[in-house]
Amino acid sequence: MKIVVFIKQVPDNTKLRFADGKPVTDGAPMMMNPFDEYALETALKLKEQAGSDSTVTVVSMGASNTKDIVKKAIAAGADDAFLLSDATLNEGDSTANAHALAAAVKTLISDFGILVFGQMALDDAEGQTGPKVAEILGLPCLTGGKNVQLNGQTLRFFRETDRGCEEHEMELPGVICMAKCDYELRSSNIQGVMKANKTEIPIKATADLGVSPALVGAAGSATKVTKTWQRPPKSGGRTVNGSDAKAAVSQLLEYLKEAKVL
Amino acid sequence: MSEFQGIWVIAELTPDGSVAEGSQELLTPARRLGDKLNQPVTAVILSGNRDTSSAEALLGRLGANQILLVKDDRLAEVQGETYTAALSELLSAKKPNIVLLGASPAVSDFAPRAAIRANASFIANAVDLDLNADGQVEATRAIYAESLLSTVVPLNKPQMVSIKKKAFPKPVEDAGHTASVEIVSLNLANIRPRTRLVNVAQTESKGAKKLEEADIIVSGGRGLKEAANFKVVEELADALGAAVGASRAVVDAGWRPHSEQVGQTGKTVSPKVYFALGISGAIQHLVGMNTSQIVIAINRDENAPIFKIADFGIVGDALEIVPELTRTIKEQNLVLHV
Ligand SMILES: Cc1cc2nc3c(=O)[nH]c(=O)nc-3n(C[C@H](O)[C@H](O)[C@H](O)COP(=O)(O)OP(=O)(O)OC[C@H]3O[C@@H](n4cnc5c(N)ncnc54)[C@H](O)[C@@H]3O)c2cc1C
Ligand SMILES: Nc1ncnc2c1ncn2[C@@H]1O[C@H](COP(=O)(O)O)[C@@H](O)[C@H]1O
Repeated sequence: MKIVVFIKQVPDNTKLRFADGKPVTDGAPMMMNPFDEYALETALKLKEQAGSDSTVTVVSMGASNTKDIVKKAIAAGADDAFLLSDATLNEGDSTANAHALAAAVKTLISDFGILVFGQMALDDAEGQTGPKVAEILGLPCLTGGKNVQLNGQTLRFFRETDRGCEEHEMELPGVICMAKCDYELRSSNIQGVMKANKTEIPIKATADLGVSPALVGAAGSATKVTKTWQRPPKSGGRTVNGSDAKAAVSQLLEYLKEAKVL
Repeated sequence: MSEFQGIWVIAELTPDGSVAEGSQELLTPARRLGDKLNQPVTAVILSGNRDTSSAEALLGRLGANQILLVKDDRLAEVQGETYTAALSELLSAKKPNIVLLGASPAVSDFAPRAAIRANASFIANAVDLDLNADGQVEATRAIYAESLLSTVVPLNKPQMVSIKKKAFPKPVEDAGHTASVEIVSLNLANIRPRTRLVNVAQTESKGAKKLEEADIIVSGGRGLKEAANFKVVEELADALGAAVGASRAVVDAGWRPHSEQVGQTGKTVSPKVYFALGISGAIQHLVGMNTSQIVIAINRDENAPIFKIADFGIVGDALEIVPELTRTIKEQNLVLHV
């Protein structure tokens, strides 16, 4: 079975700086979107469950330095990859990006069984790309996954909700979106890293995808961001020494009364 | 005049036949936008064949002018393809101007799809909503792991927006207000759903309250040393009527279910009061809770990053201080004003 995983490169938010209400992306350290690490591990697990002659193909859209996360995915066990990179693909919202990614699946990949997405990208935080790709390709879709299990042509999909852990069954081919999973991305071994170093990653432009430039990038977007600004940072308040628990608790309660919380 | 008219609220029903809290809250922005645009507010109920009269009455008291009622056993559970078909058919037939939904995991199974099918715009997880000078929706939402806020405008109509829980208070009920009910039937017979809910396993979680709806959250981290010690967190939560939260470290250790995890790969919460007990305050935790109104931290390490954002803190051993706090609250019958 052919499994396809979609990974996005995002700024490392533990190191990201902001100025004038915008991220300083120049030279910012980048990483694989955290939920996409779960998506990748899910794809690798599905490959094992699907048995021999199964493969994992990575699709990523972004600037040319996106290669780094694609190589990381190959080092972890993915088989091949496509990088979609073209100025007309930039600044798309989830509608435009879904058109680009769906077109890439249609033109570059045949006979896939499962498309695996992350639940949400850390930067634009839309959480919509997977379901929209499913819609464009006419496939079933489940979101918010934490675990999967493949039995032949049926996929079992688990997710955590307010009413408990839901278990769904999906007929394939289909689309799944993974949130935090019961497992973490495996680390890569030396063979994986060597393979990643040797693998040429084909770069595809909009023209290669058979999609109209009017449907992708800013031109194909159904929403527009008109303003961004930084949240006022929260600052620390008063602390009490807690070596005497009783005294510390009554001091805390005093503070809470002053703040009219009590 | 635009052919797109009216403000819709997609009302999610609870198992007991009432309306989900998050859906009730949607009536506040819906009525505000309806008043500004002089357009009626319609609550849409997608339901299996069951009694919906109490939900209809409640939506009326909350200010809906009209109810669009679709009853079909195929709609008893949210199923992506069926709900996509139902919603997009309604959107195309009735052409609402603005459609509000509660942000929930089930909504992401169908709302983005319905937006594509109906050629609408969909903005997810908004925390505020307004109109610009042209009467177009302006949604506020967080990006970059909650670090930035953004204003987003839809370019197509219907203008669909999902709204996070607790972004708006629910309106005061008006006992005398009722909504007229229009029953609509949709052609769902030809849809062959390719996903099926087969089981729901109850996660054992002590905090009876749902995290995202709670006004007070008591969260614990690895500083509590072992799973059994989490009872001090549960007892404080009990005494305060709070929900229990957790850091990822303790979820990964298997002490707590993932449904309790707060942070970048868990839930984003903004209660009135948030207790962080034995939690260091890693950025991935902070992004999930730093819009809480008041943060109270107890940590042994005075340099723990959590103190940089805590309004009140105690530097000390949580295993000693938390039981003392719980005891005092119970003894003095203290209640937090939230
Ligand atoms: C991609 C990614 C996503 C992540 N997502 C999340 C997320 O969603 N949510 C999340 O929480 N984390 C997340 N993390 C993990 C995060 O980086 C931290 O590792 C985690 O939050 C630490 O949990 P903790 O504070 O419980 O444990 P620690 O960092 O180990 O902190 C324990 C704290 O307890 C204190 N302590 C020890 N003993 C006592 C005592 N007796 N009394 C009082 N205090 C005591 C210590 O001083 C310390 O500050 C993520 C990480 C990554 C890389
Ligand atoms: N540029 C991209 N390249 C590859 N995958 C993407 C891209 N953008 C979004 N995705 C996928 O879609 C998921 C959800 O993204 P979003 O809807 O933007 O929050 C991500 O976790 C990825 O799996």
